[in-house]
Amino acid sequence: MPRISVPTTARLPSSLRVNPTNPAATKILGRLSRSSLLSVALDWLDDNSLSLAQPYLREDEDDDDEDDDETDDFYPPARSPEALRDVYTLLQARKGSKREILDRITEGDWRHGLSLYQLAMADLQYLYDHPTSQQWSAYRIMPLKPPRDPDGEEPPQVDKQSLTIPRFHPSTFLRTLQAQVLPDVKAHYTFDAHKTLPLLLLRIFIVDSPYNTNLGLQQKTGTPTTTTNFDASRTVYIAFPDASPHLFISKPQTTTLTSSSSSGSSGESKSLRNLLVEGIPKALSRPLQRQRFTLQSTSLVTRNLAALVERRGGGRTNAAGGGWSVYTAAAAAADGDDDDGSKKRETPLDLVLPASASASPPLFLGGGEESGGGNGKRAAVAGLVLAGERREERAVKRARLVARARFGVTAVAGDGKGVERVDVVVEDAFPDAGGEENAGGDEEGGRGGRVGRGGGRKSQVDAVLQRAAGDEDEHEDDTQQQQQDGVAQKWRPYVRLTFHGPHVFAGIRQLVEAGIVDGERMPGWMTGEEGVTIGAVRHGRIRGHKGSGL
Amino acid sequence: MASDLDDEIDDLQAKIASLKKQLRIQTSTLITAPSTRQLFTEAADQPTTTLTLPRKDNTTTTTTTTDAATLNPKLRAQSALQQAHNQQSLYRACATLTTFRARDPDPHAVDGGAILGLRVEVISRARFLRPYYVLLNRPYPGGGGGGGGGGGSRLLRVHRHTLPPCIPLAGLAGRYLPAPPAKKPAGRGGDGDGGVGRQDLARFARALRREVVRYHHRLGVVADLRKAAGMGRERDEEGEEEQLNRLVDIAPADAEAKHLSIEWADGRTGRLVMGDDGEIVKLVVLGENGRDREAGRDLLGGAVRVEEVVKRMAALT
Repeated sequence: MPRISVPTTARLPSSLRVNPTNPAATKILGRLSRSSLLSVALDWLDDNSLSLAQPYLREDEDDDDEDDDETDDFYPPARSPEALRDVYTLLQARKGSKREILDRITEGDWRHGLSLYQLAMADLQYLYDHPTSQQWSAYRIMPLKPPRDPDGEEPPQVDKQSLTIPRFHPSTFLRTLQAQVLPDVKAHYTFDAHKTLPLLLLRIFIVDSPYNTNLGLQQKTGTPTTTTNFDASRTVYIAFPDASPHLFISKPQTTTLTSSSSSGSSGESKSLRNLLVEGIPKALSRPLQRQRFTLQSTSLVTRNLAALVERRGGGRTNAAGGGWSVYTAAAAAADGDDDDGSKKRETPLDLVLPASASASPPLFLGGGEESGGGNGKRAAVAGLVLAGERREERAVKRARLVARARFGVTAVAGDGKGVERVDVVVEDAFPDAGGEENAGGDEEGGRGGRVGRGGGRKSQVDAVLQRAAGDEDEHEDDTQQQQQDGVAQKWRPYVRLTFHGPHVFAGIRQLVEAGIVDGERMPGWMTGEEGVTIGAVRHGRIRGHKGSGL
Repeated sequence: MASDLDDEIDDLQAKIASLKKQLRIQTSTLITAPSTRQLFTEAADQPTTTLTLPRKDNTTTTTTTTDAATLNPKLRAQSALQQAHNQQSLYRACATLTTFRARDPDPHAVDGGAILGLRVEVISRARFLRPYYVLLNRPYPGGGGGGGGGGGSRLLRVHRHTLPPCIPLAGLAGRYLPAPPAKKPAGRGGDGDGGVGRQDLARFARALRREVVRYHHRLGVVADLRKAAGMGRERDEEGEEEQLNRLVDIAPADAEAKHLSIEWADGRTGRLVMGDDGEIVKLVVLGENGRDREAGRDLLGGAVRVEEVVKRMAALT
C-alpha cells in the first residue's frame, strides 16, 4: 500500500480491504441470514475468488512465536483455506445463531479486512435472497441519428428508422463508463450473472472520495462530517437483460445506518441516478462506428425483476401483454390443462382442428379469424350443456371466459411476475350526465366523500361503491379527485388511480373473474397489456401507446 | 395404498388424454378424407338418414341425440371448419407469410378494435417453430396521407407483436409504415427520402420476414458450429486434455447473434463478427501474448462464410 494516495479517476480495486467494523460492512453482512452468510463465506473460499478474498491465515507452521501469540485467540486462524472451508462446511451442517458466524467472519477469519469484492458478493447474495429489495426502472436503449451538424449544436434526435440493435460488451462498457464518472467519486464495479433470470447484474458501489486506496474507505471517526467518508457510500445496480436493448437501473441505496444525511440524500441519489442515466448511453455508444445511443424511460418501475424480464426482456412477451399473450409461446406452455393445447398453433402441419376454448384465441380475439368460426360452435355446445344450470353459474363461467380473453395467460396470481404498484392518471373529459364513465368498473374504490359537485356523478359513485362492497384489500384504489377547470367545453377532472398490491394485474383479473369488474367494458390498460406502471390515459388508452409495439 | 390409487388414477387420466388426442386426430383425418366429403356432397343432394350412422361414430360431438336432423348440420359445420383449417394450414406452410383478422378486446380500442394480424412462419432445423405475430391497427384519424376511405385513415401502425427485441421492428416500421405527417407537413422538409409518407405493407412484411429468417439462420449456424466443434457432446476420453487447440465454447455474444465468442481450451478467446447473411466480417483471436493471427487463419482457412467454417470443422473432426 503506497504511503501517499493521489486522487485519480481509476476505479476502486476489488482487493481493497475494508475494516470489518466499518458500519457499512457490518450492515451489508448483518442483513444476511445465517445460511446465506455461510454460503457467501464458502464462495469466498472458493478457488475462483480466493485471490480477492484471502482469509487471515496462520503465517508459518514452524514459527512457534506466532503460534504462542495466538493461543488465546478466540478464533484461531486456520492453516489453509482448505481447512477453513471444512470449518464452514461443518458450521453449515450444525445449527446455531447468525451472530456466531458474523463474529467469526469479522473478528476471526477476516479480521484484517474484507475486500470490496467480498462485500459485493455479500450484497449480491442479499439481492438473491430478497429479490424485491430493489426498485428498478426500465430504460430502453434507443439509437440516435448521426449528428448532421458538425458543431454538434442541435440536440441529437432518435433515429426511428435505424435497424441497429444496441450491443453490449461488459468490459468495454465498464471502461467507458468509468471515464464518465467524476474524479471525486470512486466506484467499485462487480459483474454477476443472475442466478435464475437471464440478466447480467452490474453492482456499482460508490464512495465519495477522491482516493482509490485505503484512505477512501477509512471511516474518520474524528470528523464525522468529512466528505471522504465511507458512510456516504451508495450502491446502484444496473441489470442488462440478455438479448434485449433495455436496461434496468435500481434506485440508489445508501448502505449506512446514519439518518443524519437523509435530508439531502434523496436529492443526492436522484442526481446520482441522473448521472448514471446520462453516463450509460455514452458508455454504450461507439462514436467511432457512428453508433450513438440514448436512454429512454419506458414508464415501467417495479421491484420485481422477473416482471421486468417478461416485459422488457429478450423474449416474445414484450409487446404482447394481457390478452395478446395468446400469441406468445407462453400461452402454449401455460395451457397445460388442455391436452392438445401444448402444441397448438405451433405448426401448420398439424391438421387437428383447434377444438377447445383455450387452444384458439378466446372469445374476442378469435372473432374474425379464419378458424374463428369454432367459437360459434363451442358456444352452441356450451349453451346446450349449460342449459340446465343456473344463471349465476353461467355468469361466473362467462366472467372467467372474459377474464381469459382480456388477460390471456398473464396476470395469474403466483406466477411471480407481479408489479406492486401502478399509477394511472385519467385525462379524459368527464362523460355527459348519465353517460358511461370511461373508466368503467375501476372506480369502485373512489372515496365518495371527496367527490364534490356534479349531481350525476354522486349517484354513480354511490352505485359503484355499492357494487364494490366485496372489494378485496389487494385492490386498493386511491382515487384523488381534484376539480380543475378543464378546457372550456369539457370538464376534465384530475383523476389519479393508484393500484397497490403484491400482483396488481392478477388482482384485477380476480375481480373480473369474480364479476366485480365488468371485464368486457374494462379499459385495456387495466389488463397490463401496455407493459407500463406509470401512464396517462386519454380516450381510454394509455397515451402514446396507440401501439405499444414500438 | 393411497399412492397406488393415485398412480392408477394418473395412469388412467393419461390414457384418457392420449385417447382423446387420438380421437381428435382420427376425426380430422376422417372428416377430410375424400370419401367422407363425397358422402357430404351426396347428402347435400338428397338428405337421407342412412348417412348418420358412420358419421356419428367418427365425430367428437358431445351431443347424445341420434336425431339426424340435428347431427347433420353440426357435422357439416365441423367439416367446413376443418376444411378452412386445412386451407389455412396449407397457406401457412407454403406462403409462410399470412394475414388474419382479429379483434382488440379493449372497448376503447381504435378503429372499433379491428386488427390485421401478420403471421410469420419460421422454419428451423426442418421444423416449423412457433410463428411470430405482428398485429396492426389503424389508429390515425381520417384525412391523413393515404386516402382515408371510410371514417379514418387506412394507414396502419404496429399495435402488438411477439417479435424478439433483436428484430429491428421499430426501424422497419419507421421505414415501410411511416406515420402520417403531423398537421404541418411543411415542418418536416428535412427528410430527403422519397418514400416517406407512403406505407407499403407488403414490403414491410417481406423485410420483416427476411430479418426473422436471417436471425434464425444465424442461430442455426451457431448451433451447427457448436456441433461441428464437438460441443455438447459427452467427452468420455479424458486423454484429450493435451489437445489445447480444441474449441471449448462458441456462443452468440449479442442479441442479434452476429457476434460469436469463441473459447479455446488453452484460454485463447476469439470474437467472430458475421454480417446479416452469415458472411464473415472479422475474426479476432486473442492469446496470451496479444492477438493470435495464426489461430484465426487456422480457424477460417480462407472461408468467407460461416457455413464454410462449419464444413471445414466438420471435415477436420
